[in-house]
Amino acid sequence: MIKKTIHKELKELFRDGRIKMASIIVLLLMVTAIWISTNQYNRSNEQYEKAKVAEREVWDNQGEKNPHSAAHYGTYVFKSKQPLSLLDQGVDKYTGTSIFLAAHTRSEAEYSEVADQSELARFGQLSPDFILLYIIPLLIILIGYNSFTKENEMGTMSLLKSQGAVPWKIMIGKWVAIFLPIALMTIVLFVIAGILLSTLDGYTPFKWSSLFVLLLVYLFYYVIFINITLFVSKNVRKSGVSLVLLLGVWIISCLAAPKAASNFAESEYPYPTRQEFENTIAIAKKEGLDGHDPWSDAAKRLEKEVLEEYNVDSLHKLPFNFNGYRMQKGEEHEAAVYKTHYEKLKNQFEKQVDTYITTSVISPFLPTRLLSMGIAGTDYYSHWDFADAAENYRIAAQKFLNDDLAYNTKYGQRNYVADADFWKKLPTFNYQPPGLATIIKQNTFSILVLLAWGLITSALLFNFRTKN
Amino acid sequence: MFYYNFKYELKILLRSRWIQLISGLLLVLFVFASFNGSQKIEKRKAEISKAREAVKTSDARMLQQLDSIEKGHKVQVARWMVPTSPIAIGNYYPRVAAMDPNEMGFIAVGQSDVFTHYVSPRVSADDFSINFTEMTSPIQLLFGSFDLVFVLVYLLPLIIIAFSYNVLSEEKERGSLRLLASQPISIKKWVFQKLGLRFFWMAVIITVISLGVFLLNDVVSISGLLSFLALIFCYMLFWFSLAFAINLLVGESAKNALSLIGLWIVFVLLMPSLISQTGDIFFKIPPRMQMVQEIREHKAEAVKKQDEILDNFLRDHPEYAVNDSAQSRNFWHGYMASQNLLKEELQPLLSSYDEKLEEQQNWINKLKWTSPAIITQRALGRLAGTTKQDYDTYQEQVLQFAEEWRSFFMPLLFNNGVFTSELAKSLPAFEYKPKSDNYLVSSLLGLLVMTCVIMGVTVSMYSIRSKETGILGS
Amino acid sequence: MITTNNLTKKYGDFTALNQLSLTVNPGEIYCLLGANGAGKSTTINLLLGFLKPTSGVALINGKDVATNTISTKKDIAYIPENLMLYPTLTAVENLDYFSGIGGQKLPKETLESLLSQAGLQSDAFYKRTGAFSKGMRQKVGIAIALAKEAKALLLDEPTSGLDPKASNEFGRLLQGLKQNNVAILMATHDLFRAKEIATNIGIMKNGKLLEQFVSDEISLPVLEETYLKTMNYKELAV
Repeated sequence: MIKKTIHKELKELFRDGRIKMASIIVLLLMVTAIWISTNQYNRSNEQYEKAKVAEREVWDNQGEKNPHSAAHYGTYVFKSKQPLSLLDQGVDKYTGTSIFLAAHTRSEAEYSEVADQSELARFGQLSPDFILLYIIPLLIILIGYNSFTKENEMGTMSLLKSQGAVPWKIMIGKWVAIFLPIALMTIVLFVIAGILLSTLDGYTPFKWSSLFVLLLVYLFYYVIFINITLFVSKNVRKSGVSLVLLLGVWIISCLAAPKAASNFAESEYPYPTRQEFENTIAIAKKEGLDGHDPWSDAAKRLEKEVLEEYNVDSLHKLPFNFNGYRMQKGEEHEAAVYKTHYEKLKNQFEKQVDTYITTSVISPFLPTRLLSMGIAGTDYYSHWDFADAAENYRIAAQKFLNDDLAYNTKYGQRNYVADADFWKKLPTFNYQPPGLATIIKQNTFSILVLLAWGLITSALLFNFRTKN
Repeated sequence: MFYYNFKYELKILLRSRWIQLISGLLLVLFVFASFNGSQKIEKRKAEISKAREAVKTSDARMLQQLDSIEKGHKVQVARWMVPTSPIAIGNYYPRVAAMDPNEMGFIAVGQSDVFTHYVSPRVSADDFSINFTEMTSPIQLLFGSFDLVFVLVYLLPLIIIAFSYNVLSEEKERGSLRLLASQPISIKKWVFQKLGLRFFWMAVIITVISLGVFLLNDVVSISGLLSFLALIFCYMLFWFSLAFAINLLVGESAKNALSLIGLWIVFVLLMPSLISQTGDIFFKIPPRMQMVQEIREHKAEAVKKQDEILDNFLRDHPEYAVNDSAQSRNFWHGYMASQNLLKEELQPLLSSYDEKLEEQQNWINKLKWTSPAIITQRALGRLAGTTKQDYDTYQEQVLQFAEEWRSFFMPLLFNNGVFTSELAKSLPAFEYKPKSDNYLVSSLLGLLVMTCVIMGVTVSMYSIRSKETGILGS
Repeated sequence: MITTNNLTKKYGDFTALNQLSLTVNPGEIYCLLGANGAGKSTTINLLLGFLKPTSGVALINGKDVATNTISTKKDIAYIPENLMLYPTLTAVENLDYFSGIGGQKLPKETLESLLSQAGLQSDAFYKRTGAFSKGMRQKVGIAIALAKEAKALLLDEPTSGLDPKASNEFGRLLQGLKQNNVAILMATHDLFRAKEIATNIGIMKNGKLLEQFVSDEISLPVLEETYLKTMNYKELAV
């Protein structure tokens, strides 16, 4: 019975010219999207490699220089593309890819793509995630909107029932008949991506397990859409009404809800403007030690403390150069200031995420969106992780430079320069993105909301008692 | 025929509750979207005026200190912040170079979430160190804002489609088409009038709602409102003309709806993204990392040769050497001279980026004529003053102002002059002057031309077909 | 008034109507009999200009329908098999609309009197037609036809699905129109009704007009026998 229904439904689908056309178009779009993003992936990997090598060369070949001049001269670290960005670009376009690391200041990632692009780019881009998130749900609606209404309109439903067909078996048959082609399409896309990724060289190793989890997320997302589509088709009389309702669901879920959520998040938990943020930090910095200013109260206090600690009466008698020591203490104070303020910012962002999760009640798109870019390593959490790692590296590099000043020079010594070889001793910046387990932990709420969507829609779909 | 269509179309629309539904829906969408837009504008205004307030306070303090110094009193202030030093003023008393929102700003968030709306250029900072990007959560940038442009460009066409996809097919499916077609009328004209009337009522509803929304947002410019309405109407005309084509050329309601949705996906979702991507593919912008490295090399070079640069600079500017008998030179002289040199040296590199970006923009500007959604989005953005172009204009003006700010202090510095309360009155101030061009007229014309082409093609295809097969041909 | 001359309609290889020639003069009622697919509806669609003929001409009042599609419709009224109106409009409003878009401005009193002429109860005049039965809708259709003062009336299976009383009323109405010198062409399955009201009767099969009678010259049993013979004969031939 179920098998027969599946067979009949699939036959009907394959004979429908519209669905054939639509599926061919979607497949073509997918191929184009994969092609475009593979190109982008290769290009940015190339650029990353070049920039990384060139920047290290610049750093290593500074020549003889005072370590603190080098600290001000600074260095750049670059963010490499994550392998799964091939499928989901996430927020990559909106975050910068290079961070400047220098003394006294934590810099934001610079040169985001969006700043160079016109507002046209805000329409979105033809990438696999666009097709996976927006177009395939539309295809599901196209395939399924008249699944039941058609039978009602042609009167075949009463014929089927008079033959003793059980409603839930018909339902399962129809459900599977929509799910099979959609799942097949998605799996093909993921397999192509997997094969591409295992042959391309990237800087972060590609893992099949992440790809598999991502596939599961999308299949689950489609299950929800199939449930909604069949639910509406079952409970509405006319095909036209079913189509309009389902398109309404799609618009609200995929277009309107994310935008509205972003407005809610902004008005509830706003970010400061860049100027405000910088001013607050400048003020907080001033309250503590400035490594360059030996005359400030904070510097005097530090001097007293250190003299007491080492039980000496003059800075000359310290086992290290106090100037270097003060510079490092100043750096530590500044790093602490940055840490508190960036923590606050991150808190604000996490509260914004809560708003998105709340809005997910009207949109299965939102949790899928967040999860997908989370797993792909292209979400905002991933960016934070990278920025924090860069900041830790900056702090370590500053300590490396200040320690050289403190331990290799004498108090009062001027015009000290480090060897030309000294710079090579700074360890390189090796960033490892968080593993799948961390990502899943970060996105627990999205997963729960998505599961709830799946359960509730399935329960609604297979509840035949209220009707008939 | 027109009188009767007019009379009964309204009755039918009212009785089937279409008018009520559309009015309600549009009202909710317009109010919500404009509220979101105006919230951002209010925030922006508040921030700018706060920054201006801060400048006023610090200026008052500076004048007080100058006054004391001029009267020969001592002031309690850090050595490097004494306001008689021109560099101290140039660095610690910067002006606010703000981009005030335009009164129609609430209609489009545009790029306002990407870029900052005020900066304070300092005399010692170079142009590259002015950060024009705003701190925004990238998720917000990804999702975008629920603003009026979203409602108009994305949602309005869908409402039009729902309102017009089955004007003719409904008659066919209901069975009233035969009776109708046996009357001595042209079906083509009849569909045209029906859709025309639906357009008319929708336009009336939108005009009333827009008027309300604009009044709520204190817009006083009538020409702004008229341009806004003209744009929406032309964009609506485009979608109604597509509905006209599909009604006459396709036939079944479900097929009509799917065809129109397909066109919507093509025009609103696919074409804009494809066009913007072709721009990236054909006009590759060299990686910014490369630019960063070149800038760094030049800077390092300049630091090494600061003394030499200063000597050359003074040779090129003999006026500074002549007027000052003391000829005392400190860190700032060397620094400013090398900044000057850096700027000149890096100019070609920076303009090569600008040129590439411009090429990309030109390409997109040409292709935008293929999608009414892009034309409308741009034009509405220009009305609101939040497009990339507006921010480019602002940023250019800021850089000019930064130069003006520097050149105000350069002669003072090199003549080892003293900053006085008299000079404080003539400090340069920034005022943002938006650039206007004829984008509105060309956008309106573009949309109208598309509408006419669609109508023309539809009418000729329909008459060829009805000549061959009659109206029941399909 | 209604004339067809070798009127032929082909869809590819299939001939829906084969060289039909007939004439209906003012004051005549011509009934076309035949099974489904005999070409009766095709004839009416060709006369209305809904379809374009493959060859031959359809003339209304001497004007070729194919080239004067809109102007010939001024002279024709048409009642389709399943007549549908605007469900949200009342009977009077529907009548006003349909006659209005054709260019006739009628005062309210005329509209009401046309509806009662067509046999609609006056308490239904201002009710929405969404709840009307088929017979009631047809009466509004007749009122629309009457309003037009058309010289030719085309009817496609008008009595199918009507109860016998409504069907009888309808027959009487046609007789009245016949008196007013209207040329009436009616496609029907109903031999009995055809014999009763027609002046001329034609039997069609597979797109061809095979038999023609003057109604008064033939009795109902003979008509029935001829009809059945025509049907069977052709089927055997095929």
